[in-house]
Amino acid sequence: MNILNDLYFSKEHTWVRIENNIGTIGITDFAQSELGEIVYADVPNVGYNFKQDEVFGSVEAIKTVSDLFMPLSGKVLETNKLLLKEPTLVNSEPFENGWMIKIEIENSQEIEKLLTAEQYAKITNT
Amino acid sequence: MNIALFSDIHANLPALEAFFTDVEKRNPDSIYCLGDLVGYNIWPNEVVNEIRKRKIPTIAGNYDFGIGRMSNECGCAYKTESEKDNGNISISFTNSLMKDEERAYLRTLPAHIKVEFQLNEDKLNLLLVHGSPRKINEYLFEDREEKSMLRIMEQADADILCFGHTHKPYHRVLNSGIDGQNHFRHAINIGSVGKPKDSDVRGGYVMLTINENSSVLDKDSIKVEFIRFEYDIEKAAKAVEDSPLPNEYADNLRRGY
Repeated sequence: MNILNDLYFSKEHTWVRIENNIGTIGITDFAQSELGEIVYADVPNVGYNFKQDEVFGSVEAIKTVSDLFMPLSGKVLETNKLLLKEPTLVNSEPFENGWMIKIEIENSQEIEKLLTAEQYAKITNT
Repeated sequence: MNIALFSDIHANLPALEAFFTDVEKRNPDSIYCLGDLVGYNIWPNEVVNEIRKRKIPTIAGNYDFGIGRMSNECGCAYKTESEKDNGNISISFTNSLMKDEERAYLRTLPAHIKVEFQLNEDKLNLLLVHGSPRKINEYLFEDREEKSMLRIMEQADADILCFGHTHKPYHRVLNSGIDGQNHFRHAINIGSVGKPKDSDVRGGYVMLTINENSSVLDKDSIKVEFIRFEYDIEKAAKAVEDSPLPNEYADNLRRGY
């Protein structure tokens, strides 16, 4: 299972890549493989604020719909327009072009509550 | 206008014959088939031909799409390894049975049928799909969140969306009106003729009634009747058991799952 070392993970199967104070958020390779083919990513509009662990949207797969949980608190700065035309990027490139939102991180201390790649691999038995 | 809608026959000829006997007694004004004619039983060609000879407008299901293209993938989204193994047996068996002309018919089936009514100086759009408007093999279960269901129907401009694929019938009425103005939309899963999965072993289909007063403004102006009919389940189940298909598919028919 593909897990990258420059990312932090939530137990709810989202990842965040942190550059300066900007967090890029998506779902993990494990999550997409469990969900199956993604049909639609329902993400919030730019400007909305969410708290850590709060539901910020949902992802619709062929057979099921799953909530998306914020790995960190923050304000939505950008959503991934590529997913509107090609939602299966979440399946094929979950850690790259399949990202969902970028946020302005509100409180960097919350990072301590997230998992490393190794810890995440352990809880998902991957 | 009485419109009979049926789907998901899945090569079950005894169920299809019983369906025709039942529906012809009711004398609907039109009949549409929402796909998945083949797979999981031994009569894929016979089912195609019974539908073709009646000239019933038919759309492709995911199984028809796969078999039409001689593919080994039916888009069935099986979860467990045993479901996948059984599914592989079914698709290769169906591919081996399918004759050229019947396969060509499956390959050329349309994806959607849109029927626009113009009543009361307003339009009322009926959209027929197999899984969902955006995906032939998407499962729209009854518990789909209202927001998601409405978005799917609004994007497809469907006031009445009829679909199959899950083999579990239901009718939901959702209001997408704004500013106090009602706009009722109907999501109708028409169930399955030949492989029901709602614990009722009988075949199922829908009779949709549109009358001169039907409108998006009145949620009761569109009538949806779920009809169930008996058929020779043992004949269909034994046919599975006497074939290379997994016996589990016979149990599915006997117990409705």
